Amino acid sequence: MALRIAVLVKASLDPNMLRSKNNGLLDEHAMPLALSEYDKNAVEAAVQLRERNGGSVTVLSVLTWGPVARRLREFEQVIREALAMGADDAHIIVDDALVPGDPASTAEALAALAKALGGFDIYIAGEASMDMISGQVPARLAALLNLPYIGYARSIEIANGAIRAKRDLEGYIEHVEAPLPCVVSVTGEINKPRIPTLIQVRRAFRKPIKRYSVADIGLNKVYKPLISEIRVISVKRRNIVIEGDNMDDIAAKLADIIAGLLPR
Amino acid sequence: MKRGWLMRMLGFTYNEEGLGELAGLAAALGLEAYALAVGSRDSVADYSYSVFKRIYYAPRMSTDQAFAVISDLYDKIKPDMIVAPSLKDNTTVLAMLASNKKLAMFTEAFGIVLMEGKIRAKRRVMGGRAEAYYEASTPIALTIARGYYAPPASSEKGAGLEEVKPPASKLTILSVEVKEKGSVDLESASIVVGVGRGFRRKEDLRLAEQLASLLNGVVGASRPIVADYGWLSEDRWIGISGKKIKPKIYIAIGISGAPQHMAAVMDAETIVAINKDKNAPVFQYADYGVVADLYKFVPKLIEKLREKLGGR
Repeated sequence: MALRIAVLVKASLDPNMLRSKNNGLLDEHAMPLALSEYDKNAVEAAVQLRERNGGSVTVLSVLTWGPVARRLREFEQVIREALAMGADDAHIIVDDALVPGDPASTAEALAALAKALGGFDIYIAGEASMDMISGQVPARLAALLNLPYIGYARSIEIANGAIRAKRDLEGYIEHVEAPLPCVVSVTGEINKPRIPTLIQVRRAFRKPIKRYSVADIGLNKVYKPLISEIRVISVKRRNIVIEGDNMDDIAAKLADIIAGLLPR
Repeated sequence: MKRGWLMRMLGFTYNEEGLGELAGLAAALGLEAYALAVGSRDSVADYSYSVFKRIYYAPRMSTDQAFAVISDLYDKIKPDMIVAPSLKDNTTVLAMLASNKKLAMFTEAFGIVLMEGKIRAKRRVMGGRAEAYYEASTPIALTIARGYYAPPASSEKGAGLEEVKPPASKLTILSVEVKEKGSVDLESASIVVGVGRGFRRKEDLRLAEQLASLLNGVVGASRPIVADYGWLSEDRWIGISGKKIKPKIYIAIGISGAPQHMAAVMDAETIVAINKDKNAPVFQYADYGVVADLYKFVPKLIEKLREKLGGR
């Protein structure tokens, strides 16, 4: 059976490039977008499923950080990265109404897009995005599409129209089976995402990316964003590098410091 | 608590202990509380805090079964808040409910403030390095961050229990494998020694163990040590997806300082970093740094501490 695989990815603000304004608020406009960490695992899992079972891998994504006009090129670059990793094509939603994003709106948009495309056999997502870490979108999508949901999978395999997965939960691993179609979220343990070669990166430029507005996919209910502000946590550290004549001297100084801090 | 309005909470949890957190929240915020818990009658009864008007329970439920049951309870109870402790499957069930009932949801929320018809809360974002402030009208779904709401002071039990019968599930649970549990408790340790890729062999971790035991501390690790090399069990993993710690002293040895790791140690009172690369990001997060080869430095540090602490 040729599988129609959808992989959900997010162009996340890169937390490694955290920027703040003078007043301590997050300066999101100064932060670049990047393919979210666990979404790379999702793309890798999708491509591996296709390699084993045949079929196609389609990227679905919603731009959630604005301003839309300025972010569009960056967004496309992120999508191209997923294509370079082996996905076949991409369908993206870009609309001012979905910026800044909210997991509820994003899930509604993805569900409407999936329906407009005729549905998929399996939807694969990362367990959470690296910027907002909400972890809601795949479960919300499953509820909207009325499909079974397998969350936090650390391995998946498909046989006889069903999916088997090992779910990585607090304290235990659960082995489950569900019929297709199905929505799955994956953890970072599921695989090691491939790094695309130069040729794959170049080939990705010829793969189709189709863009939609909210109106194109017939979405009418969009939730209001709920965030009033994002404040960067500033922890003052002393940043003292301990120096000395030799290693014994440095070790003695650090031992003094540590001994002084020990709870009585 | 006296005010002209009352909020009703429907709690949910897969682990019975989670009822303690939910009861703590209900008591702290003066909520009319109901809950659905997964567990046997006896185990749920142990946590049947009297702040709950009623606790519904079922011995076993897959996430889609719990979703169906809580949807029915939502329609019956009409809560203003649907709340769960932060557990993976709790998040799943609440997100499915929120989606189905067209509700907003915050995960790992804390600093919860209620107003008439409204709720404010905060949550950590950007790899734990920033806080987002949320405001939404009720009804709303939220999971609460661990460690913010303790069980209520009054441990009086005896809330009414009612068993629910979940519908058939689309998911088949084939088997369950309990993860190997180590004996360390990183989250409450006051001294933690963290080990990273600077260690070349598993056997060498004994240096960190020696240092930790001298200080009555425990050893934790960055992701590669646990996930890539498998040198330590998963309960030792310090990171945004692993354990978040708040010790008095955190000593990072051979750890470069990836944001996902450092975000999980931000609440440490003092951070000490030992790394041979003077440009390692870990030094930006450290109070005290030593640029040295850990293989040469750590034995000397142990020796000096031993002299100082006198055979502890």
